[in-house]
Amino acid sequence: MNGAQYIVQTLKQQGVTQIFGYPGGAIMPLYDALYDGGVEHLLCRHEQAAALGAVGYARASGQVGVCMATSGPGATNLITGLADAMLDSIPVVAITGQVPMAAIGTDAFQEVDVLGMSLSCTKHSYLVENVENLGDIIAEAFEVARSGRPGPVLIDVPKNVQVALVEPRATVPCTTAPNALDEAALAKARAMLAEARQPILYVGGGVGMANAEAELRAFAERSGIPAVTTLKGIGTLNPDHELFLGMLGMHGTKAANLAVQQSDLLMVVGARFDDRVTGKLDAFAVNAKVIHLDKDAAEFGKVRQAHVGIDAELQQVLPRLTGEHLAIDAWRDQCKALKAEHQWRYDHPGEAIYAPLMLKQLSEALDDTAMISCDVGQHQMWVAQHMRFTSPRNHLSSAGLGTMGFGLPAAIGAKLARPEHESVLVSGDGSFMMNVQELGTLKRAQLPVKMVLLDNQRLGMVRQWQELFFDGRFSETILTDNPDFVAMAAAFGIPGETITRKEQVQPAIARMLQADTAYLLHVRISEEENVWPLVPPGVANDQMMESKA
Amino acid sequence: MNQHNLQIEAQFRPEVLERVLRMTRHRGFRVDDMEMSTAADCQSLSIRVTVSSERPIQLLSRQLEKLMNVTRVETHLMEQPLKQSA
Repeated sequence: MNGAQYIVQTLKQQGVTQIFGYPGGAIMPLYDALYDGGVEHLLCRHEQAAALGAVGYARASGQVGVCMATSGPGATNLITGLADAMLDSIPVVAITGQVPMAAIGTDAFQEVDVLGMSLSCTKHSYLVENVENLGDIIAEAFEVARSGRPGPVLIDVPKNVQVALVEPRATVPCTTAPNALDEAALAKARAMLAEARQPILYVGGGVGMANAEAELRAFAERSGIPAVTTLKGIGTLNPDHELFLGMLGMHGTKAANLAVQQSDLLMVVGARFDDRVTGKLDAFAVNAKVIHLDKDAAEFGKVRQAHVGIDAELQQVLPRLTGEHLAIDAWRDQCKALKAEHQWRYDHPGEAIYAPLMLKQLSEALDDTAMISCDVGQHQMWVAQHMRFTSPRNHLSSAGLGTMGFGLPAAIGAKLARPEHESVLVSGDGSFMMNVQELGTLKRAQLPVKMVLLDNQRLGMVRQWQELFFDGRFSETILTDNPDFVAMAAAFGIPGETITRKEQVQPAIARMLQADTAYLLHVRISEEENVWPLVPPGVANDQMMESKA
Repeated sequence: MNQHNLQIEAQFRPEVLERVLRMTRHRGFRVDDMEMSTAADCQSLSIRVTVSSERPIQLLSRQLEKLMNVTRVETHLMEQPLKQSA
């Protein structure tokens, strides 16, 4: 067996059934091994989409996503997807072909220092110098990717290693031992919870990554603490609970932001005080003490000092925190009143389609298992605000890196991860064009991914900021020269339609969901619609703008 | 501006020094002085680095501890900082 065949065998031993990739010169031996190797491979039409497809697969399934590309430009194109996985803590293993060891450092054809490039956008990376080490490196890479705070790992495999002969052997089992719980810190956290009068549960994406939704919901129910989530935490808590106030931060709900600002204790679970959450940091929840639970101790005090930081598996620590319903009835009533006072409004005048209402209608037409992938911009915030999620695995949104072009490959990856569930892309006309070549991947794989394209002929979020904060100088954000999107989909054999008026929305959604193929629903919306509310730059989260005036 | 000494022990890999220095720069610390030595068996290495920053040293040391090949990080506050360069 050669190194390439050994890689395929080891991937199968790791339980890998699906790979996203694109072949090329320095990875040809591995593609030869995949030809009859028994692992499904999806040919994407750009390596960035292969990496983002693996991210979507990982996010929807909870398993490690795997992508591969050739050396040089193949590897550089993967980098954006790996950075996306790094910022959102997504377990991905990327395998890149490399020029032979003897040619590394000679500026050979399609040679680039992938290991060097990977240092800032992976959790760890390897250059395999000896075929004997391949199996152990792959086993370790999977453990690194999924253990602790998950993240992307890159394995760069020179061509001579791929063709070298090797005697297969069992890989060394690789597991990471959990830390012991800090009992003193736990006791202090319990005391802080007992003393708090206005606590808030601030929930991030780390809970879903740790598969600790059940423990978190049990804690929220037991303690009765009003709760908010970050963008990546959406779906973690019961969206219908009377004490769930929605997303906090720049485009969060007014109820969530006002409650957080008034709180005297933030219990932060699997979150990291992202700047889109805190707004002006020194004005964020100024009267609140902080209990911070995370698997990554480097997050404690990185942005906001914690009074107690507990580095532990969330499944293990949450049941240990409090057994009591906290005596905070007045605060609960206050939070419920905030929630009642600041409900979303959908009474939009005129015949034109109002995107928030349309997304609410789309959400109501789907069942709880549907996976929504989105891109980045106004539509991304409207998805977060107006669609209903009961699991973080159903909301695939590029949160940390904010990668335009994320949505279509992620929706493809999600559909392959969970073919029995509906995979719906919500995109914007700017983002859609960033990885539009993946319509070819949809055609090739005949995947019934449903695409809703909200088209305002603008780079909407940048246009919104230009309008509000740059004196209406719309520099390079007007896209009136967009292509005919329905005709473009048709060129890939994908049916679709364009709608422009409110009364067309529900029948069109029904037609899209009834289609047994991929489908493009192209939705023309007003170019002037903004995302509200908005915390402007440099102010506290309780000073939200709700209109232009 | 605080100045700290970091003593870092790591498994030997050709790119370990690069990982440590990249992390140090990216997290907002300036390298003022540095020494590195490799163990006789080439299995491990030691890095002593003096860094300065307005940021708390834990912001760096906790990130360095997460690097896969780093086995130990010790920090010491320098009471008499090195002379600042102009």
